[in-house]
Amino acid sequence: MATTTAAIPVRATRSYRPIWAWYAALVVLMAWGLAAWIDELRYGLAATGMRDVVSWGMYIFTFAFFIGLSAGGLIMASSAEVFGIKALKPLSRLGVLSAAACVAVAALMIIPDLGQPFRVGNIFIHPNWTSPLIWDILIITVYFVFSIVDLYVLQRHAAEPSRWKTVARVMAYVGLPTAILLHSVTAWIFGLQIARSWWNTSLMAPLFVVSAVLSGTALVTLLALCAQRFGKVELSQETRKWLRGFIVISLFVDLFFVGADYITVLWGNVPADRSALNLVLPGGPWAWLFWIEWIVGGVIPLAFLLVPRLKKMPGALGLAAFLVIVGVYAFRIELVVLGFVNPLTQFPPGNAVGTYNVQTSSFQLIGRYHPTWVELGIVIGLVALFAALITIGYRALHVMEPSPAAGHRHARMPAETKASS
Amino acid sequence: MAAKKTSIPHHVMVIDTNRCVGCWSCAIACKQVNNEPLGYFWNRVLTTAPNQSTTAKAPASNNMDVPWGTYPDCELAYLPVACQQCNDAPCVKVCPVQATFRRDDGTVLIDYNRCIGCRYCMAACPYGVRIFNWGDSNYAPGGVVGYGKEYSTEDRLVFTPERPKGVVEKCTFCVERIDVGELPFCVEACPLGARIFGDLNDPDSQVSKLVNNGGGEQLHPELGTDPNVYYLPVARRVPGES
Repeated sequence: MATTTAAIPVRATRSYRPIWAWYAALVVLMAWGLAAWIDELRYGLAATGMRDVVSWGMYIFTFAFFIGLSAGGLIMASSAEVFGIKALKPLSRLGVLSAAACVAVAALMIIPDLGQPFRVGNIFIHPNWTSPLIWDILIITVYFVFSIVDLYVLQRHAAEPSRWKTVARVMAYVGLPTAILLHSVTAWIFGLQIARSWWNTSLMAPLFVVSAVLSGTALVTLLALCAQRFGKVELSQETRKWLRGFIVISLFVDLFFVGADYITVLWGNVPADRSALNLVLPGGPWAWLFWIEWIVGGVIPLAFLLVPRLKKMPGALGLAAFLVIVGVYAFRIELVVLGFVNPLTQFPPGNAVGTYNVQTSSFQLIGRYHPTWVELGIVIGLVALFAALITIGYRALHVMEPSPAAGHRHARMPAETKASS
Repeated sequence: MAAKKTSIPHHVMVIDTNRCVGCWSCAIACKQVNNEPLGYFWNRVLTTAPNQSTTAKAPASNNMDVPWGTYPDCELAYLPVACQQCNDAPCVKVCPVQATFRRDDGTVLIDYNRCIGCRYCMAACPYGVRIFNWGDSNYAPGGVVGYGKEYSTEDRLVFTPERPKGVVEKCTFCVERIDVGELPFCVEACPLGARIFGDLNDPDSQVSKLVNNGGGEQLHPELGTDPNVYYLPVARRVPGES
């Protein structure tokens, strides 16, 4: 009894004071991002670490990463309905919310990457339908609108299950192919380019879809665990089991695809492909990406998800989900940057980089890239925006309240039930 | 035949690598006529070996003018590379706003008023010839050099002496010169006559002969981009030449 009464004031401070500190921190980070963008507008993209050899950098690989993250939620919400996985239904609305937030942030990530951001309207005035970029903008828009509508439908479905059942079902069946299309089209931005042998593989679209499922599920897992920690919900063992299963299977498929690509390049030994792969294999200058991808984001999470003794540790699922996301981010860096680092036409002195410094050559044969503080600032600001969108959405929509489909104690805090009874 | 004369020419450049000595005159002339800022090269002279396939093996050195092979068996050749003016250009296909376009004479140009600076074309170009205006460029002190005026074709601004920040630029085949019957400036500047420019639609032109029977080769023909710049290999068999 004493513990219950003590718990109530603690609860109250927990849910009010820290949330304002959290919002304040996010606002500071977003302001930092905005300041960085203003700086970039003043000096042009010279403020970034990109130059003529590596001409896409942090914005693009973070864009691809956020597009991937947006998958998990929608695919999970749709799978719960399409394949009748009851244990995942309580996560449906949280999943769709994260999908909408991720895709919005991904779209915003493109704006600071443009050299002429105020001409962005040209995309709608003079669209070139042979460009994968136009199709990607189209599918991103469709996906964002769909997520918002789906969120509304699920919200109504939670309130009046019998009336909105059919609509929710239809949305689930439409959502699954839409999500797969989004990732495929984003993959084709890279995969269709004959100039970059590192990108030019038909494996690109399947690889994007599976790594999207992987990182997206891991993100929803992390968000659900955060909701459990700070909100009034609890994940059932059944839900955890399904999340773990989704992550394990998609991680295996992801590593299998990447490995299959490595084998093809290694066995074929075509110089242009090999010189790109050598950069990332152990011993190459970008080998740290290999280790993050295969060990930090591969072997360690698998151990925490599969080894019985590690699996039972508290926080094992959360840690594994976090490491998986780190691994997928490393993969995005590897994909985008290495395509540029190793250009197809590679004779000395190489490409002019567009700047002149007294100490260094104006040419680069092998590309170099380090993000600057401006790029980091903008990306961190947008990540803060994502966190803010999720927090506001979570609190405003009560996306984790008990849903009728959940037969478990999914969404009810035990302490509260005890207090009321 | 009268109709033939008025028809649109098909502009082609042939570069005789056997004549190129790697003096970079074409690159410097290009910088001059187009007022290219410090650190920008629309046109570069790459160090290769004679008849070296562009993808066969790693370069002999990271530095220019270093020959392939071990002394005394050394070989050295040069490959001047600017925009290849592809007939099926990847940059034209990927540009989301049709800022990069191909004119009917085969010239690929950029509309500096429309480019949004997404740099997708730079990712798509197999030849690495596109240059981005990252920031405020260091133009030559003492004012604009070279052509010095804006030039528009098909109502699109395809040349301006100082390109705006945040757009992509590249070799234009000196569109402002060829449209009035002059030669591209690199062709004029080459001291060895290694560059030949002309109309491929005219069967009697020198470029037609070199492309059709002279052993002219495109760069990365396997990619199917079908460039309008042809290279004559160092060692070649040409009918009539022995």
